[in-house]
Amino acid sequence: MPDFSYDIVIIGSGPAGATTARLAAEQGLNVLLVDKKQELGAPVQCSGAISRHAMEEVGVEPVDEFIHEAIYGFAIYNEKGEKKTIDYRQLAPEKYGPEQGKTPLGYVVDRRRFDRRLMTLAEREGVETWLKAEAKGYEVLPDGTCEVTIHHFNEVKKVKAKVVVGADGLQSIVGKWAGLRTQIRLTELASCLQFVVDKVETEGLLEIITGHEWAPGGYAWVFPKGYGYAEIGLGVVPTFTKNNAQQQVDYFMKSSFFKERFKDARILEVQGGGVPLAAPLKIQYADNMILVGDAARHVNPITGGGLHTALSGGKIAADFLAQTIKNGNDFSAKIMKGYQDNWLEQLGNKMWKLYDVKTEIFKTEDIPERDRLLYGTMSDYFSPNSEYKKI
Amino acid sequence: MNKPVLFDINWNACINCGACVAVCPQEEPFISPFDTIAIDRPCDIACMVCEMICPVTTITHRDAVPSDYPEGKVTEAFREGEKRQN
Repeated sequence: MPDFSYDIVIIGSGPAGATTARLAAEQGLNVLLVDKKQELGAPVQCSGAISRHAMEEVGVEPVDEFIHEAIYGFAIYNEKGEKKTIDYRQLAPEKYGPEQGKTPLGYVVDRRRFDRRLMTLAEREGVETWLKAEAKGYEVLPDGTCEVTIHHFNEVKKVKAKVVVGADGLQSIVGKWAGLRTQIRLTELASCLQFVVDKVETEGLLEIITGHEWAPGGYAWVFPKGYGYAEIGLGVVPTFTKNNAQQQVDYFMKSSFFKERFKDARILEVQGGGVPLAAPLKIQYADNMILVGDAARHVNPITGGGLHTALSGGKIAADFLAQTIKNGNDFSAKIMKGYQDNWLEQLGNKMWKLYDVKTEIFKTEDIPERDRLLYGTMSDYFSPNSEYKKI
Repeated sequence: MNKPVLFDINWNACINCGACVAVCPQEEPFISPFDTIAIDRPCDIACMVCEMICPVTTITHRDAVPSDYPEGKVTEAFREGEKRQN
């Protein structure tokens, strides 16, 4: 006999998992949310940039608890340091600005605080949460439900659930339990490293630096981080360079057109991770299982941004589960496919288009031409009349 | 086919980012408790993509030996690797 029983068990309390949990509980489901960590969001593997409307769409209020700094636009640089500035304080001054009655375009958030806040919001909706709880496997039961084995502070707990949601991030193993092909190709994973630094000025803009010389296969960034701090980072794709991300950041800081700007930079935090610039998983479901967020590779393949897509995907998952669990008792792969269909329709098909754009750019062998394409695409992507629907 | 290897991670530089696990083609979870690829048993695929993706290049390897396998029971991949070498 299992020790515990829920409608859904969510593995991983990041933005995708906690949002799925909160919105599912809001719709009446009995939800367990587990995370193996002792502190959510750490070690930080994310630059923390998120648009205001991404949070609004899923009912998360921007609060001081997690906001590092407000963002008002973008500056896109080419490899020579020429830039295109897209500052909404100038483009739409009646709407965007720091003044009373106006809003920021987005924020750079502290992932530790952001993830904790999202878990709090889920708990307040009645979600049961366990930290230091590592999921070890799942088994489909003859009655059409499943049983998840969770090690919680060294205690082995068996949890019965109708559906298990894999929200366990980049290094996801939940999908592997069901034999899903979750591996990301080496050519499609950006190896990223960023430093939080003092003594580098920023102006409320997300700065994106393109160019093979600075970030082969990816791009570099300088983001405002609040309290006068900035974040300097980049992602490289190993098939484009022999340098690792760390060596490449060092080169970018010391040798690029920003070397004067960075000369007094003092490193306060070292963060890094893999960012999938990949197509979404072709199959994101199995018997009694769906995947959300980074685990399903729900990452914008052009920007590498995963927060907006995690929150939106969480909402799609929660809505699907609420409806499916209320209406029936079949949770087989055939039924779970409905989640992926909804996701493709609402978000995924757009991501596939972006993936095609990105693939076109990076299969260009001529470096100056590839640089030109990436700079052009990035500039277009962030412009107010972008042909790419923002995701 | 590559010769099976045993990975080693220099924890001093590891940032626990999980990138090595994300590119790993092993079908069964091949992981350590620290969000990295496994280092307590040999990798029979030995494609080395985990070493290549590491942002801080802190994964290394050596050829696997029989005692690296649980109870010394070597796999088919290991025997194949030995045969090709001789």
